[in-house]
Amino acid sequence: MIIQVQNLVKRYGDVVAVDHLSFQVERGELFGLLGPNGAGKTTTIRVIMDILQPDEGSVAVLDRPPGQAKDRVGYLPEERGLYRNLKVLDTLVYLAELKGVPRSTARERAASLLERIRLEEWAGRKVRDLSQGMQQRLQFVASLVHDPEVIFLDEPFQGLDPVNAERLKDFVAELHEAGKTIILSTHQMNRVEALCDRILLISKGQAVLYGPLAEIKQQYAPNTVRIRAPQVPTDLPGVTDVELDDGAFNLTLTEGSSPQEVLRALLERGVEVQAFEVAPVPLEEIFVAVVSGEEE
Amino acid sequence: MDWHRIWVVARHEYLTNVRRAGFIIMTASIPLLGILVLMVGTFFSGQARQLGEFFERQFEVGEKAIGVVDESGYFSPILPAYRGDFILYENETEAEAALKSEQVSRVLLIGEDYLETGRVTVVSLGSGFDVAVVGDSSTVRAFFVDHLLADQVDATLRERAADPLDAEPRVISSGGEAQGEGPWGFVFTFVVPYILAIFLVITIFTSSGYLLQSVAEEKESRVVEIVVSSVRPMELMAGKVAGLGALGLTQVLIWLISAAAFSGGAVALLAIVGAVTIPIRVLIFGMVYYVLGYTLYAILMASVGALGATMQESQQLAGVFSFFAAIPYMLSGLLFASPNALLPRVLSFFPLTAPTMMLLRLPLAEVPWVDVAGSIVALLISIPAALWMGAKLFRVGLLIYGKRPTLKEIWGILRG
Repeated sequence: MIIQVQNLVKRYGDVVAVDHLSFQVERGELFGLLGPNGAGKTTTIRVIMDILQPDEGSVAVLDRPPGQAKDRVGYLPEERGLYRNLKVLDTLVYLAELKGVPRSTARERAASLLERIRLEEWAGRKVRDLSQGMQQRLQFVASLVHDPEVIFLDEPFQGLDPVNAERLKDFVAELHEAGKTIILSTHQMNRVEALCDRILLISKGQAVLYGPLAEIKQQYAPNTVRIRAPQVPTDLPGVTDVELDDGAFNLTLTEGSSPQEVLRALLERGVEVQAFEVAPVPLEEIFVAVVSGEEE
Repeated sequence: MDWHRIWVVARHEYLTNVRRAGFIIMTASIPLLGILVLMVGTFFSGQARQLGEFFERQFEVGEKAIGVVDESGYFSPILPAYRGDFILYENETEAEAALKSEQVSRVLLIGEDYLETGRVTVVSLGSGFDVAVVGDSSTVRAFFVDHLLADQVDATLRERAADPLDAEPRVISSGGEAQGEGPWGFVFTFVVPYILAIFLVITIFTSSGYLLQSVAEEKESRVVEIVVSSVRPMELMAGKVAGLGALGLTQVLIWLISAAAFSGGAVALLAIVGAVTIPIRVLIFGMVYYVLGYTLYAILMASVGALGATMQESQQLAGVFSFFAAIPYMLSGLLFASPNALLPRVLSFFPLTAPTMMLLRLPLAEVPWVDVAGSIVALLISIPAALWMGAKLFRVGLLIYGKRPTLKEIWGILRG
C-alpha cells in the first residue's frame, strides 16, 4: 500500500474541509482524485504531504507517518510558482537538495530533466526570463527532480496550451509506465478517463465515488444499447422499449438484463446486426450527476 | 529537526541574498566612504591645511602684537619674554593710533584699580567676539600671570599658574580597572563601541529585513508550498534565520576590516588595542545582545512575512516592530547625557527595545547588573514565546493566499 487514509477529518474553524474520508492508493497506480472546487482535494493532499496536520483519523504514506516519507514523494501544487530571480538549474538543484538529494546527484538529475523538457539551453538563465509555458514545464519537473516513488499532481494541466497539455499527458503516462505511483487531481475529466485506473470523487469533504474507473462507468451506464440493423423485433426478452433514432435503434433494457443477452437474442432471431454498442457515459456526466445529486 | 535541511536552507538564503544589489551597496558603502575620504584627503591636503589654519586663526589672538596701556604699574616694563607680542603705550591716544594704523591688533587698557577689580578694557576694530578671544587666549593669560607674580615666585611656578591643568580623561569602573587613557582612550572607550553598537543594530534590522523579504517573496511567488512539502516550517524558519544571520555577520566583518584598512592604522589598531581598551564586558555583552536581538527580530519578521499577502503588505506589518526598534535611537540625546536614566532602564527590560537599548547603553556607562540580567532574561523568555507563536503563524500564514488574515483569524490560529 502506497497511501492509506483512514477517517481523515480536517477543519478550518467551523468549516469541515475533509469529513471522515478513507481511501487507499496501490503501488504503481494512476489514481484520480476528483471533486468540485472546495470539495477538500487540496486539503487532503496537504495533509498527506504533511503540510497540514489532521484533526482526526490517520494517514500513512509508504507505511510511515507522512512527515517521514517526504523525500520519496513529489508534489506539484495547484498554487505553484518558482524563485523568479534564481537560475533555472539552481532552482532544480535547491529543490532536490531540500528533498535530501546530494548536490552532485541533484545537478546530474536536474540537467537530464531539463534536457527532457527541452530547456537545457536555459539552465543558466533566470526563471523570470522563461515564458509562461516554459515555467510550467519547469514546475512540473521540479516535482520529479528527486526521483520520487509517489507523485501528487494537483491540477497539472491548468493554464497549459493544448500542445503542452498533450506533452504533459504523455510524460505522465510515461512515468506511470515506469512504475511510479501517481495521484492526479484535476477537473479535466477527459484526462482522467485517458489516464486513471481508479478514482475517488469527493464532495463536501466526503467520498461519493470510489473504485476502478471501468466499474464506476459500468455502474452508471444507462440501460441502453444502440443497434444498426435493417429491422429490430419489438418483443425481445429484457427489452422494454425500441425507438428509431437517426437511422439506428435505441433499445431500453429492463433492470438486470445484460446487453450480451440482448445481442444473443437478436442473432438467434436472425437479425442482421451491422453495429452494436453499449452507449458510453462520459465521466463528466457521472461527475455532474453525482455532485449535483449531493448538493441537492 | 533535520539539521542537514536547515543547512541547505541557510546556505541557499546566504548565497542568494549576498548577491542582492541592496546588500552589496549597503556593505560597500563603508569601504567606499573610506576611499572617498582618502581621496579627498590626498587631493586636497594643501587646501585642507590652509582651511585648518584659517579656523585656527579665528580662535587665537593672532600674529600681530597687542597694545597695552598700563595704569596699574604691574605690567611696566614688559618682561623680556613678552616683548614681541605686547607693546606698551604711554596713553590711550597713542595706543589707539597704533591700533588704527594696524601696528597692533587690539589694545588692553589696564586701569589703576586692576588688582581689586580685575577689569581690563579691550579695544579693537573688530567685533565683541575679539574680547572673548582675548579672555580665553592662553598667551594673554600667561602675560597677566607672569607679570603679576614676576618678583614673587620662580619661573616654573609662574608657568604652572598661567596654565594650571592639562586635563586628560581617565574613567575607572567600579571594579577599579582603567578604561583607557588620554583622548584616544576616550575614543576607544566610548565612541568606537558606540559606533560599533549602531552598526550592529543596523545589521540586525537589515538582516531581519531580508528575512521578511525572503519569506514574503516565497509566499508571493507560491514556491513556498513546494518548499514546505520538503521541509518543516520550523526547519525552514531556522534555516532562514541562520543563513541571514551569517549574512549580517559578514556585513559587520567587512565593515570592520575596511574601517581598519582605510583609517591608515588608527582603527587598524582596534583589533589589538581595541581588545584592551574596549572593556571585555562591552564586547561580550555586545555579542550577546546582538545574537539575542537578531534572533528575536528575525523570528518576528519571518512570522510577519508569512502573514502578508504581498511583500508590500508584509513590510507594512513589520513597520510596527521597526518603530519599537527605533525608540532607543530617538533617545540618543538622553542616552549620551545619562545612560542610566529611568526611561532607558525601563526600555531595557522591554523585549522589543531591549537589544537596541542595551547595545547603545553598554559603551556609554557602567550599566547596572540588574539591567543586564533583566534584559537578557526578558529576551530569553520572549524568544521561545515568539518562536512558538511565530511557528504557528508561519505555518498557517504561508498557505493563506490572496488575503491577509484578520486579527480574529490570527487569534484563532494562535489558540488552535
